[in-house]
Amino acid sequence: MSSTCQPILRVRVHARDAETLRALLRDTRPDVGGIAHRADDGSCSIVAYVSPDQAEALEREGVSVTTIDDAAAKGRARQAEVGDGDRFAPADAVPHGLADKI
Amino acid sequence: MSYLNITEVESAVTSLATAFPGTSELIDLPEPSVEERACHALRIGAAPSGTNDCAVLIGGVHAREWGSCEILIHLVADLLEAYDAGTGLGYGGTTFTADDVRKILRELDLVVFPLVNPDGRRYSQTVEPLWRKNRNPARSGGDPERIGVDINRNYDFLFDFATAFHPTAAPRVSTDPGDIVYQGPEPFSEPETRNVRWLFDTWPRTRWFVDVHSYSEDMLTVWGDDENQSDDGLQNFLNPDFDHLRGLGADVYGEFLAKSDADDSTVLAERFCAAVHGVRGRTYRAMSGYQLYPTSGTSDDYAYSRHIVDRRKGKILGFTVEWGDEAGGFHPPWAEMKRIVRDVDAGLVQFCLAALA
Repeated sequence: MSSTCQPILRVRVHARDAETLRALLRDTRPDVGGIAHRADDGSCSIVAYVSPDQAEALEREGVSVTTIDDAAAKGRARQAEVGDGDRFAPADAVPHGLADKI
Repeated sequence: MSYLNITEVESAVTSLATAFPGTSELIDLPEPSVEERACHALRIGAAPSGTNDCAVLIGGVHAREWGSCEILIHLVADLLEAYDAGTGLGYGGTTFTADDVRKILRELDLVVFPLVNPDGRRYSQTVEPLWRKNRNPARSGGDPERIGVDINRNYDFLFDFATAFHPTAAPRVSTDPGDIVYQGPEPFSEPETRNVRWLFDTWPRTRWFVDVHSYSEDMLTVWGDDENQSDDGLQNFLNPDFDHLRGLGADVYGEFLAKSDADDSTVLAERFCAAVHGVRGRTYRAMSGYQLYPTSGTSDDYAYSRHIVDRRKGKILGFTVEWGDEAGGFHPPWAEMKRIVRDVDAGLVQFCLAALA
């Protein structure tokens, strides 16, 4: 993972078959999110988090790479949704669960 | 409400312990994090500690998977509030009666450690959102790109993966401090991992363990190193005859899992998934960890392996939740995260009930 403000691209890696994907992951060791999906035609895809240079390096015969978004930029924007201060500091402040109490 | 910062996770835990003194107990973990932050867990249950079998739930292991802490904090709050008020719990289409809640609180020791890796979470929430590891600089050589250990590769299970696995298996683990899945120099080198081990040792009646992660909408059972099989007990992680053969998922090797444990694990995972589905229709899949990718040094495999390595230790069925989908990634908008919290908390309540059945 690289330092701050550099893009980390979320990319979808499509491989023509499972062995091609396995070989790619073994050789390039990208940061992957979730599980590989296999289509009816035997092709496979997985989401990876990579620098722009790493994204280029993933391209090879039988493999295509599609950029989804800049996950680092998206994550930095999401940091605005992290609490400020301490909402549970007051003595009577207790977290409540999200279930309906029935 | 929005995502909790690390101060708020701590104060949420302590405020729940204060608000529900009859059914909760604040646990001081023995070791601070690498950056010297104190860590706390909660034990909830109406019976004295140690009276009942125990389930240990942990979260906040991987720094960027923010919602894991919220899932566990809200779960505890739901159970304590409902028990106190004598109500049931409603998560969309999945509901639990007041008797269900009473059963959990009266018949189970539930130990919840919502933030295993506070240093990493803080770094992810304030600097690099995609940070995964802890913040241990010991093996970085001063290079900020090489800071940190992947806590969920630091447990003592097939730690010497170069020997254990087939050369082409490519388990998702590394000896390189610059790698996102760096295992650390030795098993339990990290205080965060040792804290989890301490929970198992301190609650020897622990029978179930769930590590909450994201993402892929799965409920994973053991094993993570290879396909499971229940026919050949010689094919097991302790047997050096199978070194360099693990991790291919072919006919060469399968990690032995006693059929009764395989069946119990599958039932619990499927009950979890069914309860999640009932909330609003999300489909989580029950499968072994290997189906995600081959690994070593993970918490769930370590938890289950303990009774095999040392017969004096109790058997712990290990699980890993992978909440959320590709669209939301590691940081869904909080509005969506709230829906995921309800999904997964419904699954965990059902998991506890199924475990007690």
